[in-house]
Amino acid sequence: MISKSLQVIERAKAEGRKILVFTEVFEILKHYGIPVAETHIARSVDEAIEYAKRIGFPVVLKIVSPDIVHKFDVGGVVIGIQSEEELVKAYESILENIKVKAPKARIWGIAVQEMVTKGHEVFIGGMEDSVFGPVVLFGLGGIFVEVLRDISFRLAPITKNEALEMITELKGATILKGYRGGEEVNLEVLADVIARCSQMISDLEHYIKELDLNPVKTYADKCKVVDARAVLT
Amino acid sequence: MLMSSKSAEKSPIYYLFNPRSIAVIGASRDPKKIGYQILKNIIEYGFKGKVYPVNPKADEILGLKCYKSILDIPDEVDVAVISIPAQYVLPVVEECGKKGVKALIVISSGFGEVGNVELERKLVETARKYGMRILGPNIFGLYYGPARLNATFGPKEVIPGNIAFVSQSGALGIALMGWTIAKGVALSAVVSMGNKADIDDADVLEYFETDPNTKVILIYMEGIRPGLGRRFVEVARRVSKKKPIIVIKAGRTERGAAAAASHTGALAGADAIYNAAFKQAGVLRAIGFEEAFDWAKALSMLPPPKGENAVIITNGGGAGVMATDAAVECGIRLMEMPPDLQERFRKYMPPFGSPKNPIDLTGQASEEAYKGALLEAFNEPRIHSIILLYCQTAITDPEVLADKIIEAWNEAKERKPMVVSFIGGIECDRAMAKLDKAGIPAYPSPERAVSALSAVYKWARWAGYVKE
Repeated sequence: MISKSLQVIERAKAEGRKILVFTEVFEILKHYGIPVAETHIARSVDEAIEYAKRIGFPVVLKIVSPDIVHKFDVGGVVIGIQSEEELVKAYESILENIKVKAPKARIWGIAVQEMVTKGHEVFIGGMEDSVFGPVVLFGLGGIFVEVLRDISFRLAPITKNEALEMITELKGATILKGYRGGEEVNLEVLADVIARCSQMISDLEHYIKELDLNPVKTYADKCKVVDARAVLT
Repeated sequence: MLMSSKSAEKSPIYYLFNPRSIAVIGASRDPKKIGYQILKNIIEYGFKGKVYPVNPKADEILGLKCYKSILDIPDEVDVAVISIPAQYVLPVVEECGKKGVKALIVISSGFGEVGNVELERKLVETARKYGMRILGPNIFGLYYGPARLNATFGPKEVIPGNIAFVSQSGALGIALMGWTIAKGVALSAVVSMGNKADIDDADVLEYFETDPNTKVILIYMEGIRPGLGRRFVEVARRVSKKKPIIVIKAGRTERGAAAAASHTGALAGADAIYNAAFKQAGVLRAIGFEEAFDWAKALSMLPPPKGENAVIITNGGGAGVMATDAAVECGIRLMEMPPDLQERFRKYMPPFGSPKNPIDLTGQASEEAYKGALLEAFNEPRIHSIILLYCQTAITDPEVLADKIIEAWNEAKERKPMVVSFIGGIECDRAMAKLDKAGIPAYPSPERAVSALSAVYKWARWAGYVKE
């Protein structure tokens, strides 16, 4: 797991990059058995159509560029694409937007991703603390993290049981248990993903300074990372 | 020969706490000087080993022969206390190394804390060269009860006991030494940590781990040095399974500048990471020193509970309700009283009392009724811990009640954790001092008593005495 993950990191470092794009983080996540939304990088509109058919509509298109961190800000994301025609239009509009808003950005392609709907949004993070070393973070998405700062922390790595504790100690944990008719999340599955993530953060100490898996969609039976970002040391 | 080969196995930190001989470098004839106060404390607290003042300008201090240099002392020296200006410390450390000193207590200030990092680094480097360990610099010294060693410039009358108090802060540490004397808190050790240039919290935890004289460790810390957090957690996690560790953590760590820049990093407060680390290490985090010493008192006196069933026994409904709220809020499980137990407790109360939990003996309760109810609780295996409350009334005498409680405590078939709170006048304070002395932790408010019991529970769960 470590050596394969390091290959991804070394490749980026060789290019003088400090940031891994989401598709690169996905590669590492897969080595750790962390489920990600199905994603393929298309180099042409025809390839994009082919991938979309394979995944099944609706799909999402996302720009893949080592120079673009905030994909939404440059118009590099289109969600809810229902048909081939919409896909062609979206593909071209993304390229147009980039030309205007980030003309110098290197473009590796456009990712076709399954449209992950419903589910609860959570985030899993990692950081390097100067005193304690690698730390794993977990929180619910949206206002819970941004306004209420309802986040739990642990020194990585942790066991699945410790990850369960991390989830249940959140003030907003009730929401994951199906508050007001919402779907009840399988906490065991989520805890397993957090634990795997903590192992990854711990293994890659000294290489990854920050990791941000956000959002991670959680359901009654599964959980999928939809977007990700990593800052290298 | 046999002696020396045996002692060779002991670590420098063992000698730090148990020196056979101690030199005070910078001992002074001037009572206003730290070098005088430390020597005086060492002598007057009754240190059993040999004491050697070192001062090139004096022949005799406090009746002891004074040496010009540590190298002139015609005997082995285990520990040297150094209290001289910072710029003279380094050559003295070199001399201590040559003398074969095992550990240094460097009182002097003027090192890392004022940016003199390089000098501090050299200090440690020189000590390492000779296999010496350094406590400090920038500290008020070391007290260790079992060795009758008070090498501090703090108060002299420290009460010997089984709580080890470790303080990063100097002034607060000294002040708290005095505070423990006033409050009757008994200590096995007071360790001033200062700059932690060499010996840090993990090192002292390792000493107390196997120290038969220490039951509870209480640490006041402002931070752990970068990169040393993991070791603290590893050691604390092991030690806390054997002995409770209470930490008061004040202030905040510096955080990597880059970490703060990103989204997740900006959200990650350093304090939350300390919290997580303490949780994972089984450390009980207290907010202030009153709370910390409240917990330490209970943890040092009481056996761990065998189960989660707690009962409240009171003579006042209000106090019972307050204790109930506090118990629920801090995770103490109040027992549902089965009918047969209710019947048994009824014997000790008038018809308008309540045998449910809280067990309300009412304001009419006599000292004897308290004792009877207490013995029922002690001898009933389904009850695992007791919160005993008393509101002072004219029909009872707090001190007589304290005696009855102590009788019940001693007559009980088995010891169970019990915390007590007497609410009332000056007589209550005297009665509670009596209880403390008998090994029953007493507190001036129900909340503090309940909080102390909850610390006992948290530790007992962590250490595996009670299943969660």
